[in-house]
Amino acid sequence: MTSSNKLTPYIYLAPMLALLAFVFGFSFIRVFEFSFKMVRGIDGPWIGLRNYQLVLSQPLFWESVKHNLLLLLAIPAMVGIALLLSLLLYDRLRGWKIYRTILFFPYILAIPIIAVVMKQMFQFSGPVNEVLRWLSLDFMTLDWIGSTDVALWTVMLLIIWRESALGVILFLSRLLSLDEALIEAARLDGANWWQRAWYVLIPQMRSVIEFYVVISVITMLSAVFAYVYMMGGGRGGPGTSTMVTELYIYNALTRTSLPGVASAVAVMLFVVSLMLTYVLFVVRRRADEEEA
Amino acid sequence: MTDKANPAQQIGRRKFLQTTAAGAGTLALGSLFGPLPAQAKNPELNMWWWGEQELPGLQAYINESVAKYTAATVKPMLQETAVVISQFQTAAAAGTPPDLQYLWNGIYHMESVWLGYLKPLNGLMSEDTLRASNPTILSNYGGNTYRAGWYPLPMVWYYNKDMFDKAGLNADTPPTTWPELLDACEKLKIAGFEPLGGGVQDGYWAEWYMSHAFVQSLDTVGEAVELFIGDKDFNDPRYHECWVRLEELRKLGYLNKDMPSLELYPGIDLVVAGKLGIGQSVGSRLPADSKATNGRIGSMVMPVFGKGKLAGKPIVDMQGLGISEKSANPEAAAAFLEYLNTPERLEAFYKATGWLPSSSRFNSDLIQDASVKNMWKAWGQSPNITNVTSLMPGQFYEQAAIPTGQQVVQGKLTGEQAGELAARVAKEWREFNPDLVEKYQKWVIDLSK
Amino acid sequence: MSITNPFKQVVLITASIIAMLPSAFMVMTALKSQDEYTFDKVGLTDALVLTHFKAVLFDSPFFLWMLNSAILAIGAVVVGTLVSCCGAYAIARMQFRGRDTIFAISTSLMAVPPVVLIVPLFVVYSQLGLISTFSGAIIIYAGLITPFSVYLLTTFFRTMPQELFDAAFVDGVKHHQILRHIVLPLSIPALVTLLVVNALFVWNDLLIAVIFLQDDGKRTLMAGISVFQGRYNNQIPLSMAGMVVASAPMIILYISFQRYFIRGLMAGAIK
Repeated sequence: MTSSNKLTPYIYLAPMLALLAFVFGFSFIRVFEFSFKMVRGIDGPWIGLRNYQLVLSQPLFWESVKHNLLLLLAIPAMVGIALLLSLLLYDRLRGWKIYRTILFFPYILAIPIIAVVMKQMFQFSGPVNEVLRWLSLDFMTLDWIGSTDVALWTVMLLIIWRESALGVILFLSRLLSLDEALIEAARLDGANWWQRAWYVLIPQMRSVIEFYVVISVITMLSAVFAYVYMMGGGRGGPGTSTMVTELYIYNALTRTSLPGVASAVAVMLFVVSLMLTYVLFVVRRRADEEEA
Repeated sequence: MTDKANPAQQIGRRKFLQTTAAGAGTLALGSLFGPLPAQAKNPELNMWWWGEQELPGLQAYINESVAKYTAATVKPMLQETAVVISQFQTAAAAGTPPDLQYLWNGIYHMESVWLGYLKPLNGLMSEDTLRASNPTILSNYGGNTYRAGWYPLPMVWYYNKDMFDKAGLNADTPPTTWPELLDACEKLKIAGFEPLGGGVQDGYWAEWYMSHAFVQSLDTVGEAVELFIGDKDFNDPRYHECWVRLEELRKLGYLNKDMPSLELYPGIDLVVAGKLGIGQSVGSRLPADSKATNGRIGSMVMPVFGKGKLAGKPIVDMQGLGISEKSANPEAAAAFLEYLNTPERLEAFYKATGWLPSSSRFNSDLIQDASVKNMWKAWGQSPNITNVTSLMPGQFYEQAAIPTGQQVVQGKLTGEQAGELAARVAKEWREFNPDLVEKYQKWVIDLSK
Repeated sequence: MSITNPFKQVVLITASIIAMLPSAFMVMTALKSQDEYTFDKVGLTDALVLTHFKAVLFDSPFFLWMLNSAILAIGAVVVGTLVSCCGAYAIARMQFRGRDTIFAISTSLMAVPPVVLIVPLFVVYSQLGLISTFSGAIIIYAGLITPFSVYLLTTFFRTMPQELFDAAFVDGVKHHQILRHIVLPLSIPALVTLLVVNALFVWNDLLIAVIFLQDDGKRTLMAGISVFQGRYNNQIPLSMAGMVVASAPMIILYISFQRYFIRGLMAGAIK
């Protein structure tokens, strides 16, 4: 094999290892350390498990977790919508490429932009309610943004709207890579659209659907900061109805000067996401095997 | 890996070294956007400030003042709302704070005092100037004053005089007691208007409501602190009466329907636009709003329901400036503050922002709008109290002060439940922050005077 | 043509309308005057009002914010890609102790939520004076994009035929020359995908931006949108005009380079 210098690999690795060691390694160690300290500013005294105790007995923390879990309810809707639309696109009717461009559009706009727009649309005296009143659907004119009972569902609506687009593309690209022979055979056998979809196509999409579900779960638990920050006025409002774990950490760090508490929550979130990552890898390995 | 023969790479690394050596992080590639460092032997003062966001024109005033001031080179930097305090604190902890720091009232700067980040101003600035600038009682700790007042935020209740006329109310004598307020709201409602409210979605309305209503139950500002440190309890009806009253307003149908989803400023606009009869506002808006309506916006103190000694007094909050404990040049910094308090600068402040500086040295005859002049006479130039929410611990502010108002307005909580929430969060604050509890206990002494 | 065709079309059309509705509202509202919007929130505008766009384009910091976002995206992508290419090359084509472990660890870092890192990084940056500096933020972004980049490039490099390398070694070619003249040119498709994914990630990020770039002058587009919306929350058409301007770069790129975009976004989601 190769070059004479035994050090060469390490020279090539060094920048990458240095960068990762700083951004990740150093951070992991410190966040773990801080979670056991009462940090004010840049450091503080050791207090053992106190931060964890405080957080785990605080209703606000559990409310945040609950909200993250409630957001998981978005996933069945996302999968359903994405499946339906991708299967329809797969028929490749006339103009399907235009539809595909349009249906992917929600994912193109950055979350802050779309959240600002939605926030205006769903104002109590805003256009959505105006249209509903015009259609005599007065009972549906909820206080989408301002009601503590509704606000989280409004955020969920936004998430579904945007993330389904991703599902459409993922599913469609899987469909387009499938062997047409099976579909043809089913059609010749007289199966209608639904039966073809249910018995032939969807089973072959199982791994990509699982994959989509798992990354969506990870998203709902640890990547909804932008949605909530923009819709809830930056503090999980109205009331505390849109507070989620990421926002809890952010607020503890920047608004209530409690980096130790923020770290404790971050550590717990990290542990949970580690477990989910493991699941993701198992799913992905299966998907790779299936495609091979 | 780096190709030493490539000059472009060398320049890149030099720039990187330059930024890290700068320390306080105020330079870096973005030095295009700030004032260039002066060559002079002048002392250099870093000034981190805020306020353009609420007083457009302030930036121009600062730039002009800095340019005119020759005794030192001041480098101002405008901060974002979310971090104006936290960034100061972390810089101070690291030993590299700015010389001059903008300081909101109350706990927002008192925390820095407790951490040892701010210098007492008595001794650095003249007693006269300091007192004239009215830093308010909340800037005192252990007998020292830690801020100079910069510009006031009179907290007023707006009412629309035209709407009052149409509803058959006397626009020149707004309600002063609670029954009078309910009567006025009823008349407004009968006339087909939405009587009272604003926008609470972003939370600030709920904070202001506490400033006006909660304070009515207190005899001294120190009593509020006692509620946080646990000597008194929010579950006591006297202390959550403010939310019971808010609930009353909602139940009587006096609050505007879109209040939960509207934000603060659009809510105030409703009063100015003649769509809402009464609302909470801040005095610095009055010049523009008065002009837009030809003087038909009135200011009133919140009508009284509470039995505390502080009820019915006009409220003036104060934005201020302070000097870091670790400043290399505290005398130079204080001199700059003195400069900003000269009558010429005070007048320039008014001209640049259209708003009043806090110092009593400001010639109030310069105020052109009659409504503003009257408001200032009744608020700033008369006995007033300050904004009690400014002394709230951050955790209480975020997790109780704001959610209570929002949820009572929306009908999710009763007044009593709001009191329970406040009590619970106060207790959590004590558990999360035992070090701050100690400091607050000492602060009560200064605040009960 | 099956009988359900019209039904399918209806579903697709409905979905398309829902997909485009917010953007349509955004554009329509941006063209209304403030008074007109207060009256008529839903309908089409009577007169095309362009003053808001003028205000956004000339009197607001949008271009500055976009420039800042671009600086970060370019900086992070350059640093991250360089670092990842070298690392991936070593992992894919060299033998050394701990190779598989390093790769496994690096890959698993892909799924760390950035929010876990903000507390320690914020604290250490405050101490080092790196808050609100481009270099500080670029380091963080570069670090965040490296695990995925290394993963993608390693997988790709591994697919290259061994004979290619054997021939080169026989000729006495050094590693860095192989990397530069053989491997990278062959990797252009993967590099383009990587570029799109990583640039989008940095451009669209909000969390790191609001915490680590707090200065007015360094604000990114996403953080700026939040500030802009807060400052002008009583002037809706103006806000919407701002949103239109903010979304313009992405929309233009999307329409021009649809294929790369889609591929890139998909690959990004797989992170």
